[in-house]
Parts: sequence; structure tokens; C-alpha cells
Amino acid sequence: MSDHLTLFRAIAKKKVVLLVRYPVNTLSQFVSIYALFAVIFFGGKAVAGPALTDSIGGIIVGFFLFTAAIVAYSGLSWNMTREAQWGTLEQLFMSPLGFGTVVSTKVVVNVLYSILWSAFILALMLVTSGESLALDVLTVGPLLVLSLASAVGVGFAFGGLALLYKRIENAFQLVQWVFIGFIGAPVGRYELLGWLPLAQGSHLLQRAMRDGVRLWEFPASELGLLVATALGYLALGYLLFHRAQRRARHHGVLGHY
Amino acid sequence: MDATTGGVADASDEAEDPTRRRESAPEETTKVLRVRNLRKTYGRGDGAVTAVDDISLDVERGSVVGLLGPNGAGKTTTIKSMLGLVIPSGGTVEIAGVDVHEDARRAYRHVGATLEGARNVYWRLTVRENVEFFASLGGRDPEDVRERYESLLEQFDLAAKADETVNDLSRGMKQKVTLVCTLARGTDVVFLDEPTLGLDVESSLELRRELRALADRESITVVLSSHDMDVVEDLCERVVVMNDGKIVADDSVENLVGVFGTQSYRITVAGPIPESVRERLCTEYDAEEFERVGEGERFEVTLTDADDLYEVFDALRADDCSLDGVTATDPDLEDVFLELTNGERERGDDRGDAEGGPATDERTATEKVAEGPR
Repeated sequence: MSDHLTLFRAIAKKKVVLLVRYPVNTLSQFVSIYALFAVIFFGGKAVAGPALTDSIGGIIVGFFLFTAAIVAYSGLSWNMTREAQWGTLEQLFMSPLGFGTVVSTKVVVNVLYSILWSAFILALMLVTSGESLALDVLTVGPLLVLSLASAVGVGFAFGGLALLYKRIENAFQLVQWVFIGFIGAPVGRYELLGWLPLAQGSHLLQRAMRDGVRLWEFPASELGLLVATALGYLALGYLLFHRAQRRARHHGVLGHY
Repeated sequence: MDATTGGVADASDEAEDPTRRRESAPEETTKVLRVRNLRKTYGRGDGAVTAVDDISLDVERGSVVGLLGPNGAGKTTTIKSMLGLVIPSGGTVEIAGVDVHEDARRAYRHVGATLEGARNVYWRLTVRENVEFFASLGGRDPEDVRERYESLLEQFDLAAKADETVNDLSRGMKQKVTLVCTLARGTDVVFLDEPTLGLDVESSLELRRELRALADRESITVVLSSHDMDVVEDLCERVVVMNDGKIVADDSVENLVGVFGTQSYRITVAGPIPESVRERLCTEYDAEEFERVGEGERFEVTLTDADDLYEVFDALRADDCSLDGVTATDPDLEDVFLELTNGERERGDDRGDAEGGPATDERTATEKVAEGPR
């Protein structure tokens, strides 16, 4: 257990060190995400006026989840490509703690980081728009983590593809935009859409943050679907990742770029 | 050739030398790396390429073994198969008694590797941050290995650069950082794949000097691959030469050079060499590269026995050719390597296009190694 804690500390420290050491890089990422929201908010206000004001709460919640999902997803998929480029992927693989453990620890650090990141963006969006939302940590926290689990599952799948095919950055970018579709899916009207990654989480987060519904006030079936999709996509993604790393080793391309 | 039974250097000598032993754990034997019938074939059918072809070898604890071969010989695939980074088509690899492909996590406790030179570390982290990160990755608390890595940083002349980001260091220093990261954990075996790749002559020499000092002082087990003969000759007691995925020689550097202990001589004669003498020199001694030098003439002969030189002198004197000078060139590992790899290739060609051709009693390079010096 102490080995795992040491590993967690090392990965978290590396993340923090790089964020602090390269502040311009960190800031530019933050600004570009906020700028996207600002364009939507101020542009939309100028074009749609009151219509946008009515839906701004939904946009903020969607953007909040989108930010967190992108950070959690890309932290895994892009990271595999970069580690291969840097020649460090094979070092990660040869950890006595196991490649799966190392990558999973990276995921945990990434998810924590994505939550922090999206919380900052959320605060900035609320200040910019003057909107107020229900922010019950006991409700939003679990819903956000479960929603992100399905994004991480997609990240594992694409991380696995990155181990095999390396140069698939364009596909990564495409997936980021597909996430917008998942987050905006009308699950209230078409329940089946709740089986898509992020969709059920987005639906419940909207109700929790806009309507003030508490975690225990949601129907068990709706929470059950969220848990099922979270665990299902996570397990499926990890399975694909595991098979991809075996295939990459079989073809001798694990550390190639 | 099965290196475990063939031309393996007298490994028992090393095993009996107590200075080359480490404290042994219960599962440890003197053979810290054991490879049996390792094979790796990429692809299927007509397009299949065999990168590693039935390799077996043992590495004794505390020895420094060089894996030498031309590009495409299969060195990197062999090393990666030994490390579990490539899944082999067949065979087994045990590190410190643990099967790498059955129980990789346990095996990785005993092994560290630097693959492809200066990569393997994070260039945006400092030297110290890298060492600590990779210690943690290896399941060690950085505090537990601090004393060791501080000493390695001193030895590799990196102490003053410990808090600089790797990106700001020269290529040679970057490579030293990767080595320190690998060595800091203090594993039983260290694999170094092309550790001097891309370094200038001076940096390469410096790195070799430091590695040699480390190998002498700590008696670590190192498996090192390189296409640079000087690196292998400087660092390794034993050399495994690979060609076309096979081991074509496995012996000590000394023995290999001894087996191929041919000596080249450049002989200068005061006047022109008569045609009859020239013919005899060519036929009996394979003399070549005749050239005019002022009033005289010069040629080269390569002899396996020093006594033959006197016969060459006699042949010249018989026709009143007076000697003007003789220079000798010593063979080195590069000559051995070229003879081995070229010899194997030629043998392959002969098999392909001379079936039923004239019988020959000449030994191939591999056979010479297997049989030892005549």
C-alpha cells in the first residue's frame, strides 16, 4: 500500500511541478477554455438576448462538465502518445507496481486535477454571468465523479489505440467535440440516450445544479443508470486498453512513435 | 549455436570470484539472467520476419555482457523480449529466477533499463525530480535511495546540475541522467540499449569511463547492447555477437580476438617484385593491394601464424628482393565482428546458391569461435 501511496505522491507532485514551472502554459489553457465560454455567453447575449439568459444555467453546467471531462479524458489519451514520444512509456510499463496501477494512478490524479480545474472555470463563469446555481458538494461531487468515469473509460480506449497506432491526435480532437453531443443529449425526452457516456451524468447534474435536486432525491433507477454507465464504460475502456497494450507488445510497438 | 553450451566464456571463473558476487537472496542463483530458446517472429506467412531466432544464454551475477550486432541484427528486439516489452513467439526469460512473461511485476523488482539513449526521462523536470520520480515508479521511496542517487550524481558529475531541468543539459548529460535514474534503484540487472547513441566522441568516452568505474566498484550485472565496438570492448568482459537474429559468437573479448588472431602486415620491398614472386605471394599467402612506392613496391598479407611471415621473407629473398620495411596492425574487436557477421552472411549466400558445389574444409567464423584457437 505504501508503494502505491509513494507512486500517487510522485505522479501528483510531477503534475503540480509542471503546472507551476510553466505558468504561461497553464494560464493559456485556462484562458482558452474561459474564452470559449465568453464567446458563447457574450456572443449569444448579443444575438439571442433574453433567450440566452433563460438557458445560461444549463450552458454553465454543461460547460462545467465538458471542461472536467476533457481534462480527465485528454490527460489519459494524449498522455499515452506523449509518453511514447518521450520514451518514458516503456519505463512506466516496467514498474514493479504494474502498468495498470501506474496508469490508473495517473487517472486518479487527472480526475482530481480536472475537478479542480473545472471548479475554477465554474466560479469564473458564475461571476461572469451573474448566475447562481445549487452547489451542494455531496450531490455535485459524486455525480461529477461518476460522470467523469465514463469519460475516463473513453480515454482508456483511445489511450489503448494510441499505444497501437500512435499518431491519432486528430481522432482525439474529434472525440472532444463528440463529448459536447453526449453532454447535450436530451436524456429527459429520450431515456435511451442516457446509456451514452456522460449523457446521464449531464442530465442529473443539470437537475442537481439548476433545480437543486439532492443526490438522495433522485430516483434509484436514474442513479443506477449513472452508476452502470460509469462502471461499464470504465471497465470496457480499461479492457480495451489492456488488450491494446498486449497487442502493442506482440507487434513490438509499445514504445515506438 | 546454443550459447549455453557453446562458446560461452568461462563463466564459472567469474562466479568463483567472490569480489564479483553480491549478497544473495534466497531465490538468487549465480545466473541472474537465463534465456532459453527465445524467438520472435513478426507477421505471418510469406511476409514473416524472424527478428530473434532461438536464442539461449545465461548471464552470471556481476558480469558485464555486451550484445553486439549490425543494425537489424535483432539486438533491441532481444533486449525488449527479455524485458517483457515485446511478447516473444517462444522461449522463456528468467530474471533473478522470475519468469518475466509469467510474473512481470515481480521480475521488474530486479531489473532496470535504459532504452535508446537520452530518452526515458522527463526533460521538463529537474535531474533530481526525475531520479525521485523513477525511484517511486520502481516501488522505492525516494528517501530510501537518496544516499545512493546522491552518490551516483556525484560520480556522474551531475551533482551541480541536480536542480536544473534536463532540457537545459547537453545530450551527454541527458544520457547520464537516464543512467542515474536506472541505477538509483539498485536492481540486480541493468539493461542498457545503445547507451552512447548520438554522443560525440568525448562524451562517449566519458560515459564509458564512468560506467566502467561503476561496474568495477559495484560489480553490477549489466547487459549492454551497442553497435559501437569500442563501447563493448571497453566495458564488457563477455560479448554476444548477433547477426540475423541469431547468436553467432558468445565469448570473452580476449578469446574472440585470440580466435581471430590474424595479423596483417604491410611489406615494402626495395625494388619491383618479379611476376613469379608476386604470383607465389598471391597464391600461397593471399597477398593483395600491391602498389608502387617510389622505386619499390608494397603489398599486404594477412597471416594466422607469425611463422608464416618468415616464409614470406624467404620467398622474397629467393628472388633477391630486399626488404625495405614491415609494419603490423593489431586486430581488434571490430575485425572480429566484421569477420563474424560477414562470414555468416557469406555462408548464408553460399548455402543459397552453391548447393552441390565444391566441398570446402574452411571453418566458418562461428565454427572458429565454437572450436577455439587452433
